Amino acid sequence: MYAWLWRHLPGPRPVRALIALVLIVGVIALLMLVVFPWAEPLLPFNNVSV
Amino acid sequence: MSQRPERGNGVRRTAGHRAGYLVIRTAGELLITAGVVLLLFVFYTLYVTNWTSAQLQRESEERLERAWDEQDGMDAPADAGTDSTDAGTDSAFARIRIPAFGPDYRYTVQSGVDADHLEIGPGHYPQSAMPGEPGNFGVAGHRIGRGAPFTDLDELGSCDALVVETATNFFVYRVLPFDEEIDGWEAIRQRRPECANVSTLRDTGDGPGEPYGDTVGRRIVTPDRSDAVAPVPYREVDVLPRLEQAALITLTTCHPQYSDRERLIVHGVLTQQVPKSQVQDDYGQLLEQLGEV
Repeated sequence: MYAWLWRHLPGPRPVRALIALVLIVGVIALLMLVVFPWAEPLLPFNNVSV
Repeated sequence: MSQRPERGNGVRRTAGHRAGYLVIRTAGELLITAGVVLLLFVFYTLYVTNWTSAQLQRESEERLERAWDEQDGMDAPADAGTDSTDAGTDSAFARIRIPAFGPDYRYTVQSGVDADHLEIGPGHYPQSAMPGEPGNFGVAGHRIGRGAPFTDLDELGSCDALVVETATNFFVYRVLPFDEEIDGWEAIRQRRPECANVSTLRDTGDGPGEPYGDTVGRRIVTPDRSDAVAPVPYREVDVLPRLEQAALITLTTCHPQYSDRERLIVHGVLTQQVPKSQVQDDYGQLLEQLGEV
C-alpha cells in the first residue's frame, strides 16, 4: 500500500519525500480536527454528569 | 518511508506468490496504521483537548473578571452582561477554587453541563441551587482531557475546603465526613479545627428516616443517579421544605479515571460566607483566614 503510494508520487526522491510529509501532516490534521472531535463523544470514556 | 524491495533477488516468483505477498503486506500496513491512529487518539484525548480547553478557560476567566469589574463600577451600563467579544457558549457566572489543589487552582463555572459547557470548565447543573442557597449546588467537571479540572477529585479528604466565588462573596463549603468517619465524627471534629463547622447532617445515625442518611463526603454511584444533585441528595425533591435544606455543594466526575462506567461524587456543606469586601477582594487573605496557607 505505502510502496504503491510512493511509486505513484511524482518527481524525484526529495520532492516525493516532501509530498509524502505533506500528506502525513494532512491526515493527522484531519484526524485531530474532524474525526477525533466527532468520535470522542461517542466513546464511553468521558461522561461526567449524572 | 523508504521503498521496500518488492522482488526477491534472483528468485523468480510466480504470480500467486506475489499476490499472497501483497495481501499479507497490505494487511500488515493497515494494522500498523490502525495502531498509529489509536495512539494519535490517545494523544488527542489527553493533550490536544487540554490545549483547546485551556484557551477557552482563559477567555472565560477574562470575560468573567470584566463582567464583575463592571458590576462593581458605579456607572455600570444596563446591559453589563453583554460585551464586545463573542462569548460563544461561555456562560460563566462563578468561580470554583479548591485550596487543597494549590492556591492557584481556579476555574470559571459554566451554567450548564453539556459537552460545549464542560469543554470550557466545570459546569453547574441548571436545576440545582445557586451558590450559598439552601439545596444543592451541583457541579460537573472532566477528569481527563479538556482541562481535567476534577482530575484529582478522589484525593479530597473530609473537611477540605471548596470555595465558590461569586461577584460579591466567597462561599466556603467543606467536604462532608466520609462513610467510615460518621460514627466517630464528634471525636474527629474536636481533634481537627477545620472540621469545627462540619456536621454529619444526621440527628440519630443512618436510619432511612434521615433525609441526609445517604449523604457522605465521597460516593461512587452509577451514571443514572441524577438524584446525587437533588436538593437533598438521593431523596425525593420534596422530602424537606426548602428552608430546612442544608446548603450543599456536589461535585461529579467520571469514575474510574479513563472510564465512564460510574461517577465519583463529592458532597460538601456550606460552613462560611465571606463577603469579598471583608477580605479586600483577595483570595490570599481568605486562605489566611481559613488557615490554609
